Amino acid sequence: MTTHSTELTVGRPRRGSIGTIFESLTSLVERRRLVWYLTISEIRNKGTNSLLGNVWWFLDPALQLFVYFLLVSVIFQQAQPAILLFLGAAILPWKWFTAALASATTSVRGREQVMRQIAFPHLVLPASSVLASVANFIFALVPLGALYLLYPDRLTPWALAVLPVAVVQFLWTIPAVIALSAVAVFFRDISNFIPHGLRIWFYLSPALFPIETLRAIGDRHPWFGFFVDINPFTWIFSGYRDALYYGRAPEWGPLGILALASIPATLLSIYLFRRVSPLFVKVL
Amino acid sequence: MAQRKISRVQAAPPPILLTGLGVQYDLRLSKKRKLRDTVLRDGRHSQSGKFWALRDVDFRVEAGESVAVIGPNGAGKSTMLQVLAGILEPSVGKVEVRGKIATLLQLGAGFDPELNARENTLLVGEFLGIPHKEMVRRVPAILEFAGLGEFAEAEVRTYSTGMRARLGFSVATSVEPDVLLLDEVLSTGDAAFIEKSRGRIMELMKRARAIVFVTHDLDSAATFCTRAIELEGGRIVADGPAKRVIAAYKKKMAKRSATASRSGQGARRGN
Ligand SMILES: Nc1ncnc2c1ncn2[C@@H]1O[C@H](COP(=O)(O)OP(=O)(O)OP(=O)(O)O)[C@@H](O)[C@H]1O
Ligand SMILES: [Mg+2]
Repeated sequence: MTTHSTELTVGRPRRGSIGTIFESLTSLVERRRLVWYLTISEIRNKGTNSLLGNVWWFLDPALQLFVYFLLVSVIFQQAQPAILLFLGAAILPWKWFTAALASATTSVRGREQVMRQIAFPHLVLPASSVLASVANFIFALVPLGALYLLYPDRLTPWALAVLPVAVVQFLWTIPAVIALSAVAVFFRDISNFIPHGLRIWFYLSPALFPIETLRAIGDRHPWFGFFVDINPFTWIFSGYRDALYYGRAPEWGPLGILALASIPATLLSIYLFRRVSPLFVKVL
Repeated sequence: MAQRKISRVQAAPPPILLTGLGVQYDLRLSKKRKLRDTVLRDGRHSQSGKFWALRDVDFRVEAGESVAVIGPNGAGKSTMLQVLAGILEPSVGKVEVRGKIATLLQLGAGFDPELNARENTLLVGEFLGIPHKEMVRRVPAILEFAGLGEFAEAEVRTYSTGMRARLGFSVATSVEPDVLLLDEVLSTGDAAFIEKSRGRIMELMKRARAIVFVTHDLDSAATFCTRAIELEGGRIVADGPAKRVIAAYKKKMAKRSATASRSGQGARRGN
């Protein structure tokens, strides 16, 4: 007959904060294949529910870019050379961020069934949402690349610097998605609130206008200047724009600080997520 | 040889041990999900929203026991199984379960409707934490047992409820568990599959070290199980040999329905 295992599988004692974080990270590594399956399924499901299917991955960012192009250049008549590239460098990465937060609100909540029936580390759910959201960025590179057909002289080797800038954005997407996925379990209203909050954030970031516009306001109101400085998207949008539009090196200093600051934010979000995750099954 | 084995088993801690276990639901969190309610009502209703689904449960299952858990609806049976499975964490008290666990709660959890049977088998295997290689090895046997025929290649969204349950059952019972947790699983599927799955469960029961079986089917509980506990209002009210506890429970239920039918709407108070 088989020998039976007597290892403790349920009821391990709770650990301190460092132990909790470590345990969560280990569980992600152990369940990396599950994270990957869920990522693929999330990406696939987005493409299957409509007539044009996967074409939307390209069409969606392209249409959004077109709408903002109409708004800025036709209605507000802002005179900016190579306006489509100027806007695209900020709007397309922003689309990635909003898509990530939108999926975060359902990433835990939408898996109610399986959470009720199988014990597994819940952190795999937001982790796969973060990874799946990257598809938004990758597909948006296609319309972005196509813009260089309109403005070939804007293309420089510095365009490759989008990758490190995207990494910084990714690093901040992680804690944002983890935290939001947990909060959304307890407050369903938050998914209604998020789009509006994001819109305000978007208009307070240098997306539709150059950073100088915000700096000018900041000079008159110091508190606003402070806000501009601590807004990660000030630096992230500027970084994309330096690389893609101006063809120059992004400001590595602030981006590096942002990257480092994302580490404690991520660890904190993981810790909080783990602490509230026992409540998920009870609340959902 | 045999003697050495016995002494080892006796020295080992019991497969299942619950001490002073309590599970509390907070109805304020689960019902009023609106931000406004939580903020505005916090202070006033602080105690009223709490509700103990299980309270002061001390429960120990020795190796070789199979325990039926019986009791009226809402007694806390499923809650107890979820705690044993590690799905729910106790609010107070301690839970210890040792060895590999197989849980058969509702079937078909974790399926992705866009994937086919094979892919879903692998996906659920990952949810269960079964090593990938082992799962790949088991896939053919799982699909074979589910008996889906050519539908094995079709997406799960095209399955009927029964087919989904068959696949769920095959995946969930493909592990060789030390601890087997069952919650009224034999209700779906057609007659042939119920027969087949009964056989599979008997097989697992023979091999598992400990079994906890939640059911309303008192007769099969009496035949399958060596011991029974009765839950009522979140507490264990009876514990002992299966036949005796179940007989007493039947008598109690009969009496209760007799008084209920006599006093008209008195049935409402029976919870
Ligand atoms: N998510 C939840 N939120 C609040 N209360 C819950 C939740 N889940 C269960 N309960 C309550 O806990 C109690 C025990 O529920 P449980 O599902 O364990 O009962 P049960 O004994 O399995 O009943 P049944 O025989 O109907 O399956 C019930 O009163 C139920 O209302
Ligand atoms: Mg139940």
